[in-house]
Order: sequence, then C-alpha cells, then structure tokens
Amino acid sequence: MSFLRSPRAIPYLLLLPSIVVIAAVVLIPLIVSLWSSFTPYVLTRPATLFQFVGWRNYLRIVSSTDFWWAFGRTLLFVTVALNLELVFGLGLALLVNKVTMGQKTIRTVMMFPMMFSPILVGFQFKYIFNDAVGLMNNALFSLGLITQPIPWLVDGVLANASILAAEIWMSTSIFAILLLAGLLALPKDPIEAAKVDGCNPIQVFRHITLPFLMPFIYIAMTIRSLDVARAYDMVRIMTNGGPAGRTELLWTLMARVGYQNSQMGMANAMGYVSILTSILFTVYFYRKLVAARRYMGGAE
Amino acid sequence: MASYQGLKTLFLACCALGGLAGAAQADNFDYGKFPGYTLKVKLIGGTQYEKLYTRIPEWEKLTGAKVEIVSSKNHFDLDREIKQDIASGSITWCVGSNHTSFAPQYGDLYIDLKQEVPADVLAEYVPGTLKASEVDGRLVQLPRVTDVSNIYYNKDVYENADIKAKYKEKFGVDLAPPKTFDEFKQQAIFLASPPNRYGTAFAGKDEGLTGRFMEIVRANGGDMFDKNWKPIFNSPEGVAALQWFVDLYKAKAVPAGTVNYTWDDIGQAFAAGQLAVDLDWPGWAAFFNDPKTSKIAGHVGLATAPVGTSGKRGGWSGSHSFSVTQDCDNKKAGVSFAVFMTNDESELLEARAGNLPTRTKVFDDVVKEFKDSGNTYMADMFTAWRASLADARTPPLVPQWIEVSNVIWPQLQAAIVGEKTPQEALDKAAADATQIMQDAGLLKQ
Repeated sequence: MSFLRSPRAIPYLLLLPSIVVIAAVVLIPLIVSLWSSFTPYVLTRPATLFQFVGWRNYLRIVSSTDFWWAFGRTLLFVTVALNLELVFGLGLALLVNKVTMGQKTIRTVMMFPMMFSPILVGFQFKYIFNDAVGLMNNALFSLGLITQPIPWLVDGVLANASILAAEIWMSTSIFAILLLAGLLALPKDPIEAAKVDGCNPIQVFRHITLPFLMPFIYIAMTIRSLDVARAYDMVRIMTNGGPAGRTELLWTLMARVGYQNSQMGMANAMGYVSILTSILFTVYFYRKLVAARRYMGGAE
Repeated sequence: MASYQGLKTLFLACCALGGLAGAAQADNFDYGKFPGYTLKVKLIGGTQYEKLYTRIPEWEKLTGAKVEIVSSKNHFDLDREIKQDIASGSITWCVGSNHTSFAPQYGDLYIDLKQEVPADVLAEYVPGTLKASEVDGRLVQLPRVTDVSNIYYNKDVYENADIKAKYKEKFGVDLAPPKTFDEFKQQAIFLASPPNRYGTAFAGKDEGLTGRFMEIVRANGGDMFDKNWKPIFNSPEGVAALQWFVDLYKAKAVPAGTVNYTWDDIGQAFAAGQLAVDLDWPGWAAFFNDPKTSKIAGHVGLATAPVGTSGKRGGWSGSHSFSVTQDCDNKKAGVSFAVFMTNDESELLEARAGNLPTRTKVFDDVVKEFKDSGNTYMADMFTAWRASLADARTPPLVPQWIEVSNVIWPQLQAAIVGEKTPQEALDKAAADATQIMQDAGLLKQ
C-alpha cells in the first residue's frame, strides 16, 4: 500500500491502463488459446473447453504427416517468397531511384498492388491461372505455344508457383518502397568518394549501397516474414490448400481444422507451433538487423 | 398512359392482397400476431435464395412483427458464424437458415418443431424430406427446398448425327443419356474433345466431392459407415467408386482444374456449352435454359440419375431449411416465420425458379402451372426430379459428418491426381475417419 503512494509507483500507475488493455486484447486470448490447445475443444460443444487432455493434440500434430508437409511447405513458401520479393523489390527500388522525373507518380503506382485485398488478388490470379477460361492458357493457345491446357492450379509445382506469383505481385512493392526509403536516405559523400577512388558501379553497390541498405532489408524481411507466414486469404481462394494438399499451408490447414471441423483445440495447438516458428524467424532477422547496424556504425 | 399504369398497379395490388388473404385463409396454420416485435434472423444469402425473402414483408404485414436480417451469407460462412455464436454463447437471434448436412453439428441449438407445429401442417411436407430434417428424433428444421442430382445433357452433342454414328460404330449401341455410372464414364470419355468440350466435370473438393463419392459408393451397394459407425468406404464398392473419378480424370474427359471446381464452376461450364453431360442439382434447370445466362438454352436434355453396379441410385440428397433457436425470446414468432417461409405459396415461388419444393401439393401445382404455360422443359424437369427423390438419401446424420468429409476429400483428390492408388487413399481416409468416430465416442476403440 505504501508503495502505491510512493513516487516510485507513478510510472507503474501511469502504465496501468495500457497494461490492462494489452492484457484484455492480447494476453487473455493468448492464454485461453494456449489452454484450449490442451483440450479437445470443439466449437459447437463449449463444455469440451474444460476437458484437459494434456499433450494429446501436440502428440497428434507431431505424428501427423499432413501437418509436417504443411509446415515444410510453409517454410519453403516463406523463404522463396521473401527472397524473390527482396530481389525484385531491390531491383525496382534501384530503378526508381534513378528516375529523375515523375518519381512520386511512379512510387504511387508501385503501391497499387498493396492496396488490393488479398482475397481480390486471389480471385484475380485464380482467373488468370484457370485451366479452362484463364488468361494465361488463352494467351498461350493464341500464340500457338500449347495444344492442351496447362493445369496451373492443379500440378504440384505449378500450383505453388502460381500462388507465389500472386504473393510476389502483391507484396514486392512493400520491399521496393522500404528499400527506396533507404536509398533516398543514403548519404551521397561515401558514394562520391568511392567513385573518386575509382570504384565501378557494381563495386559501389556491393561495398557502399548494399551494406547501408541491410538494416532496411532486415526490417522488411521481419515484417514480411510474419505476413507471408500468415498467407491465408489468397491460398484459400486460389486452391484452398489443394488439390490433394499440394498447396496446403499451415494457415489453410488450421482454418479447416478450427472452423470447418470445429476442432479449435487442435487448431490452436497448430497455431502455437506456427507462432514459435514465426518467433524464430523474427529473432533471426533481428539478430541480422543488429549485426548490420553495428557494421554500419563501424563496430565491426 | 400514366393513369393506365396507375390503374394497372392498383389492380395488381388488389390481386396481391386478395391472394394474400386467400392464402392466409387457405392455410391451416395460425401465424399469430406479434405487433411491435422484431424477429432477428440469420439467413443464407445468394441469388437463388434471396427471391424467397421478398415474401418477408407479407409475413410482417400478416403478423405485425418486423424482421431484422442479422446475417446474410453463403452457407459455409454462415455455418462458421453459427459455430462461433455457439462457442461464445451469443445466440441473440431466433431463426437461422439450416441444411440437412449441417444440422447435426449444432447439438441442442434449435427447438423440436414437432412440439410447435401442428401435426396436420407437418403432414403437408414430403414425408421423407421431413424425416431427414430430424436429428435424434427431434425435428430441428422445416425444409424449404430439396436437392437431389439428375442428368442434364447437351442435345447439340447427343443429337449430332455424326457423333451418334461414331458412338454406335464404337460401342454398338445408340447414344442416349447414360443409365449407369459406367455408361456415364464411357460417354464422358468418348464425347470429350478438349479444350473445346469436355465429357463432364465434377465438384473436386469439399463436401461436393465427398458427397458425389458417397453417392456412387451407395449406388454400387456399399456405404460410408456400418451400423456401429465403423467407416467402411474403403470397401471394394468404395474403390470402384473412386476409380470412376480416376478414370475420367486420367482420360482427360474432365477439365484438369475440376479438382478445384465447386458447383458454380461446373454449372457455368455446362451453360457455356463446354460439357456434354452434367450430373447436377435442380436449382440450375432454369439457369441452363435461359438464353440470357446459357449458350445452350433450348438444347438441354433431362434424365434421371444413373444407377451403380448394384442397380440402385445413390440418391445423395439434402434440404435447405429454417430452424428456430432454443434461446429465441419469442419462439411462436420464430415458428410462424419458419412455417410461412415454407408454406405452399413460398414453395411455389421457389419452385418456379426450378427448386424442388418440400410440400407434396406444390409438386403437382408447379407441374400444372408449367404445362399450362407451355413450358414443357420445366414440367419435365419436376417429373424427372420427383422420380429421383424416391431414392433420396442424406449423408449420415451425425455431427461428425463434415469433419469426416474433410478427411475424405483430400484423399480422394490424391487418388484422382495420381499420387496414391484408390485403395491407399481410402485406407488412409478410413483410418482418419475411424479416429474421429472414436474421439466422438460413437465407435468403441
């Protein structure tokens, strides 16, 4: 009681409302979902939320090949999508940085894909890659390049590539915008000095521009890795994880288990495995970010 | 001209009011009076369902109540929303759209309508359809339209002299709508000339695929579960049923993307003239024969669904319906609404669009109406579909059906696209389904 009246309590008292709000909107749902992952909680039978089954859901996940395929595919999807988005985003940012007229307009146009809802992007690309009426096959037929329709959203490799194409189309501009911000903030002096010292453009990029951009790259990677790992809407619309689970990602699997099968306990257990993986990704990128900043600060 | 329009409107309004009064008198159900009451409802949305809701103002006028539509979504989204309402204990609405396949999941969410609707009113519904609306002996829903699949075929293909001659030459029989699933497969493969025309297409995911598989398993003499709820669909009858899909897919008689198709994709493809034959729902009948929506309008043939190797039809069937919640603050009003939306006039309104009514009398009324107006296509449609209803069977009415379906269809897909043999795929699905039934306590370890 005396602590509450002391000046040392003031910061805590001031923070109390935000602590209460965070507890209400973040902590409590997290605890409830963690608890439910140890129960056979079925949405339509609320009483099952109070039936403790220990590690049963986690053990079933560990022994489920469907889950591990979805897990592996999600990791692969995140890795490939992030790297390709980075390469394309960096290329775009470098090109736009060279533009001297209408750069603001180009920057706005570049952001258009980000303004679409992922559901709309899913429908758009589902139409593009549809085997019967899709734009892609129609174009290939018209050019005489194929005689049989290509099953873009059916074949294991092509279906995943189609989803990747949609994801990359929608999100490359995020990388481009973030990296362009980095390029615009890049001090001109080191570049001029390097040029005076006789560096060619590739050497300038390799030794000056890229190290300077690395913190921006890792920030973009961290944000995007969380987004891509949660990719659901687009995949749900384009293939719904099928056919035969060929495009099943953790989130489509969890949505099916949790909402269609009503097994929210099992879905939450899957969610916790996925959250832990996301945390690992975040920690990795933050470490890289700190290292890159140290490098920029001359610590290494 | 304006005064003529005014008179015409007045005349129509009088007719409508007269008809309403007549309908109310002819109906032997007392809809009651609920002045000042607002009935909250969650309804399935979508073009083919919304037309019925134009009758809501009539019910409001009849009873003095108001209707508030809290939700209007497709059934899968509505189902998810209702499950979340149950989970959060927030059932603040009275009437919900329901379906035979979904109803068993909801436990005691809905009241037993046998306690609320007089027996003579219930006797006006098609007996089999009403029976299928029960869960554990409780009538939890009043059916509004019934579904059972039959064959639509493109007459331009089936009556083409050249195609007919080639078919006769190859198989020694005349080309006619298939009577068995084997014949269906044979014709679909023969008639396919991709990419311009495919033999047929099937719903390749979700319950659409599981349901069709179940239909063929049953038509072959098998079933999904035995009487102790042990999954038995990995039987020889099940393997033969799955082989039917595999053969069609391998022969490229169906679009490669069919494994991602649902009903809309198939219906649109048939209407676009891309399919020779289509096993589909009655709700498409008017759409296929409407020149505004279909390239093959006027050239659509109808036939009853094929039989399997047992000589029987699978008759996969179900009904859209209305249910009243236990938590409803005015159950009488909820029941009144559900009965009104499924009475003879409502049923006739839906039947005119091609939906199968759930009241016995309406079948005769709608056929007579179409015959009188010279629309033999729609009159024939109801006759064909009514015959198929004789063999109608719902999916197993257990809460676990959708969950079981969700472990079956990905395995069916795996066999269809050639990743597994039909036996391997079905064994895996049966093992997963067994675990679900054991967890539910229906099947002992």
